[in-house]
Amino acid sequence: MGTPAKETVPEELRRAAGEERVGRPGPADVVDGGAPRWVARADGTDSAAAILRVAAEHGMTVVPRGSGSKLDTGGPAAEVDLLLDLSAADEVLEHAAGDLVVRAQAGARLRDVQRVVARAGQQLSVSDPRPTATLGGVIATGTSGPCRQLYGGVRDLLLGLTVVRADGTVARSGGKVVKNVAGYDLGKLFTGSYGTLGVVTEAIFRLHPLAGERRWVAVRVPDPESAAEAARLFRVCQAAPSGVELDRPAGGEGITVCAELEGRVGATAHRAEELARSFERTLGTAAEVLTRAPEWWDELPHESGGTLLRLASAPADLGELVELIGRVEREHGVSLALRGAAGLGVLYGAVPAGVAPESVARLVEGVRAETGRLAGYTTVVHTPPRVKELVDVWGPVAAGVGELMRRTKERFDPEHRLAPGRFVGGL
Amino acid sequence: MNERTPEQEPAPRESGRLDPSAPVSSGAGGAFDAFHPPQRELIDDCVHCGFCLPACPTYELWGEEMDSPRGRIHLMETGLDGEPLSESMVEHFDNCLGCMACVTACPSGVRYGPLINRTRAQVERNHRRELGQRLLRRLIFGLFPHPRRLRALRGPLALYQRSGLSELLRRTGLTDGLPASLRTMEELVPPVRSAPRIPERVPARGERRAVVGMLTGCVQHAFFPEVNTATARVLASEGCEVLVPRGQGCCGALSEHTGREREAVAFAKRVVDTFTTAGVDYVVVNSAGCGSTLKEYARLLADEGEYATAAASLAERVRDVAELVAELGPVAERHRLELTVAYHDACHLSHGQGIRSQPRELLRSVPGLEVREIERGEICCGSAGVYNLLRPEPAAELGELKAGNVRATGAELLVTANPGCAMQIGAALRRRGERMPVAHTVQVLDAAVRGLPAETLLGRRAPAES
Amino acid sequence: MESGALTPPARQEPRGDLDGCTARLRELLGRESVITDRQRVRTYECDGLASHRTVPAVVVLPENAEQVRAVVATCSAHGVPFVARGSGTGLSAGALPRSDGVLVVTSRMRRILELDVANERAVVEPGVVNLDVTRAAQPYGYYFAPDPSSQQVCSVGGNVAENSGGAHCLKHGFTVNHVLAVSVVTPDGQEVELGGHAREAPGYDLLGAFVGSEGTLGVVTSITVRLLRVPESVRTLLAGFPTTDDAGAAVSAIIAAGITPAAVEMMDALSISAAEQAVRCDYPEGAGAVLIVELDGPHAEVEHTFTEVSEHCVAHGAFEIRTAADERERALIWKGRKSAFAAVGRISRDYIVQDGVIPRTALPEVLRRIAELSASSGVRVANVFHAGDGNLHPLVLFDGSDPGETERAEEVSGAILDLCVEHGGSITGEHGVGADKVRYMGRMFTPEDLDTMQSLRCAFDPEGLCNPGKVFPTPRLCGETPGRRRGVHPLTEAGLAEQF
Repeated sequence: MGTPAKETVPEELRRAAGEERVGRPGPADVVDGGAPRWVARADGTDSAAAILRVAAEHGMTVVPRGSGSKLDTGGPAAEVDLLLDLSAADEVLEHAAGDLVVRAQAGARLRDVQRVVARAGQQLSVSDPRPTATLGGVIATGTSGPCRQLYGGVRDLLLGLTVVRADGTVARSGGKVVKNVAGYDLGKLFTGSYGTLGVVTEAIFRLHPLAGERRWVAVRVPDPESAAEAARLFRVCQAAPSGVELDRPAGGEGITVCAELEGRVGATAHRAEELARSFERTLGTAAEVLTRAPEWWDELPHESGGTLLRLASAPADLGELVELIGRVEREHGVSLALRGAAGLGVLYGAVPAGVAPESVARLVEGVRAETGRLAGYTTVVHTPPRVKELVDVWGPVAAGVGELMRRTKERFDPEHRLAPGRFVGGL
Repeated sequence: MNERTPEQEPAPRESGRLDPSAPVSSGAGGAFDAFHPPQRELIDDCVHCGFCLPACPTYELWGEEMDSPRGRIHLMETGLDGEPLSESMVEHFDNCLGCMACVTACPSGVRYGPLINRTRAQVERNHRRELGQRLLRRLIFGLFPHPRRLRALRGPLALYQRSGLSELLRRTGLTDGLPASLRTMEELVPPVRSAPRIPERVPARGERRAVVGMLTGCVQHAFFPEVNTATARVLASEGCEVLVPRGQGCCGALSEHTGREREAVAFAKRVVDTFTTAGVDYVVVNSAGCGSTLKEYARLLADEGEYATAAASLAERVRDVAELVAELGPVAERHRLELTVAYHDACHLSHGQGIRSQPRELLRSVPGLEVREIERGEICCGSAGVYNLLRPEPAAELGELKAGNVRATGAELLVTANPGCAMQIGAALRRRGERMPVAHTVQVLDAAVRGLPAETLLGRRAPAES
Repeated sequence: MESGALTPPARQEPRGDLDGCTARLRELLGRESVITDRQRVRTYECDGLASHRTVPAVVVLPENAEQVRAVVATCSAHGVPFVARGSGTGLSAGALPRSDGVLVVTSRMRRILELDVANERAVVEPGVVNLDVTRAAQPYGYYFAPDPSSQQVCSVGGNVAENSGGAHCLKHGFTVNHVLAVSVVTPDGQEVELGGHAREAPGYDLLGAFVGSEGTLGVVTSITVRLLRVPESVRTLLAGFPTTDDAGAAVSAIIAAGITPAAVEMMDALSISAAEQAVRCDYPEGAGAVLIVELDGPHAEVEHTFTEVSEHCVAHGAFEIRTAADERERALIWKGRKSAFAAVGRISRDYIVQDGVIPRTALPEVLRRIAELSASSGVRVANVFHAGDGNLHPLVLFDGSDPGETERAEEVSGAILDLCVEHGGSITGEHGVGADKVRYMGRMFTPEDLDTMQSLRCAFDPEGLCNPGKVFPTPRLCGETPGRRRGVHPLTEAGLAEQF
């Protein structure tokens, strides 16, 4: 990788992106505590492509950014030459309400998209508790919320994608129809790829009708085993919940398991009451029907400066997952706040801000070994840069799959200039 | 009974018709001669969708395209297009059981029956089988279409294994196929029971609703005479005058399904003669394989001059016994039978004649009787005429699959409308070291009408003959 | 006889050491499982799209994952191309064999390896028939959601390759939404597991990209599928409309009302008459179009929504509405629809089953244009489609024995795809690209788009041995070292391939 010559780069970038759009980093333009050399803002596919062509010519490393709400996620960023900011590419380009499809630029904020489509009584069935989250960021990190229990994750809702490749080439896959099997589905490949294969500039999502009514059925249980049983009952019940979540405050006694039901006015409340009653019969515990989501619903347990983990097992192993987290907590003398998709077996665990980086790293290693024994995994979502130096945020992948990922990266970004070192296996 | 085999009859020669016995060169260099090759237009009906695959017993066993209906039709097509009739092609045609499950499964209405029948006739004419196979076929067809010879066989078959003849045969090295086939034959044959000879005329009980002629069949007559007597009794109870013409002989089903077309035609003519003379409203058949062939007489005898019309007229009047009773509407009172039965669809009844609901409804109409369905019921049990003798290994495997599924129903009695199925499944169960009584649908109805206890059907008490 | 494109050149120039490869395969699998007899291998010359035919050099019938791995490794070592095939029901010639290659048939791998009800999943071998998964799961109250029309015969491995949909994917999604993991033998003969026990594992979603890659990235040896609860309630309605426009308007109204039916199917007058002839489905007399709408889910929701759907149908001109009272009546309603493709064989000697997608709202416009195409060319077109998601299956009718008619039908069929692309749709919604539609890929994607997809292909299959000639219109070479090009490949020089 060449070192970009200081004098010509800004000039060429300015020509590519526009005079006002290139500059030195400001205080907010930080990746993992380090400053990039340049920041360039793109307002769409064309300018992003032009910028990436310049970057390719000069062998610059590039990290794409939407609002930056998840920019600290991933492996430690090496020296970044160029931060490619897409927050200006924030337009909702097309809402085809009759077709239940929305097309928007990658920098569009999820909440803005929701506002637009809600006017037609529709929703993008993706949620991210970070208020500034953009479509691009949601795609790059594969982030969604409780409703993925019913609607699937980001990859299941993404219909089409426009990306700019490392060399500045623009490529599209998929389209704006739900049913489409022409060519490879690169949307899936790019979802959760953390900007290491190309820069997403536009996306097309399928939408769902906005529910007329929502109810939450919550049950409080004393131990992991009954939490798992409650989650199972929610998961398999005929009421078809859109989300099945769990909450266990740090050091708290008891676990709350809660399911969200959505549907038509009248019918939903009825279903919720029925479900609650059936719970009392089968679990012997009173269940409560709520007309508003519990305050922890779709919120991360994370606190600033702390560490947020993702811990997963097969859905049926949820009890053992929570159990083993308890063991690790006792062993390390740290108490985690647990929350997440009980129905899927994927939880967030928050380590408080005060814990020393070395202790966090040891705890991560400990819990990772345990989840590994369950054929699950542990990854680090948010953490201070110091922790990343001590522990691999991603953890191991099977050798064969790791090799395929490496080969994929080689083909898409042979010079390793896109978000280098931030992804699984150091890609 | 006339013991002259049809082969001894002079082959009919009509003007303008090709003599199939004369060697015909296949002009295109393909697999088939010019006399009745498989019909191109029927082959073209196949859109290659593959819906027949899961229904095919040999595909179930081996999972190979060439042993599926789609593959066989493809072979016929390539045969028409110039591929020679090779050993491998013949093998895959021979492997077909002719169960017609594929016809039921086909959404495009491909008529596989005429295709495979024509192909088999071509194979018989144009392909010289190895010695062992030829001997075996001669043995089978010198035996099965002849009820009296069949009845005489029971003893020697049992003797065969005890005598060490099988060992002797194997050492002669004549064939590997023969001993397995003979063993199969020995296994299959049930103990011969005696049943009173049915009079030539059985009067209707109560008001006469129809005059029916009854086909007594070869295997049915030889090994299951009680099914014939039960049929006559049930029909009489339902208001039918039953005529049982003597000398009706074999219907030709086994011959036709094996490609011995001339033999089949000769048999069919005799049946047409017999029942046309008898003057009946219906011809009732209680053996599924025979019934489906009789219903196809119009096609089989289409080239046979004056027989064509008579055959068509007769074919329209052919009914399976369950079909006729359902059609007439049962009138005889059914007494209670506390019994769970597994009903097995004989292929030639369900796929061949589309008769599925009538036997079930008749059985369900018996108070106290519960009918259980057999898992994967559409798959053939492996009997398929004489298939279990010609291809004993796959037939045995299919028999075992079926026996397992029959057992899984937990029923006390297996009910089926075909003597071949009854023997085949019975033998497979015996190989598993299990015994399960088997009865024909009409025997169950007979017991219900006569008010006999379930035990008689379960073999715990001999039925009182009347 | 169903017909499609003109068959591409049937013989390929031998690429590798086929004889050596065959000998080794016999050692590994035994003679019984390696077929080279000409007549036998010819039965594998086409899949469900019989207009494309190529006789494979060798057919192998592996019985387990290890044999598949050995076969692929042997092909790779000898430079011999290979193609995987399940039940051979595909409609895009995706399993079209290579005359210089090995056809790997998974029809003997049909064991359901695990039924894990607690985790609502099943692990199956690739040759397992789609419907058999549901049959196995049903006693526990579960089913496998993807339901292509061929579900009683098509294999789960084939579903993975094609990302199969079906009438009910409107609500429940496609195969890709129901596959949790696959074991794959990559083209270099390595066995890897994509996806896994726990959900949403980190790393590239290679599983998501693999499903629907039409057998060009490797051969699956086992598949973990998600099982869904059998819904509490299912309601099916059949409505007769004077015209397809009316029926289309009713669909739009249903969707606009915020209803997501499990399935919405439409048939036009010509396809109705074909189905009537085939199965006597007894659809409303004189209908210019019928709609089949099915709802499933919690009882109270379904009942409520069902009334609403009926009202929308009436409001848009439905002159007859029937509802299925029981499973038998439901089957009767579906019978006409499910038999439609095959039934068309009864009203036309030959026909092309086309598969294109348009945004649902473009339905009236596109149907009008198809009618115009049909009128101007004199080629009849019957329309059967998944109206809920705009997936059209125009059936282009012709008589191949009539000179010039095949070409005219081909032209109309291609023009329909152009219409789909013009309206922002797709050239295939569920049948796949295969060998049949490679010529249309350039109408939907730019060379850069296709290059990008091929980047993934090159990561998995740099030698281009795995189902070559499918999906991508131009054969491309992956090059030895990305970014650096050395010399000129002979194929490039001969103008047969572009350097990638």
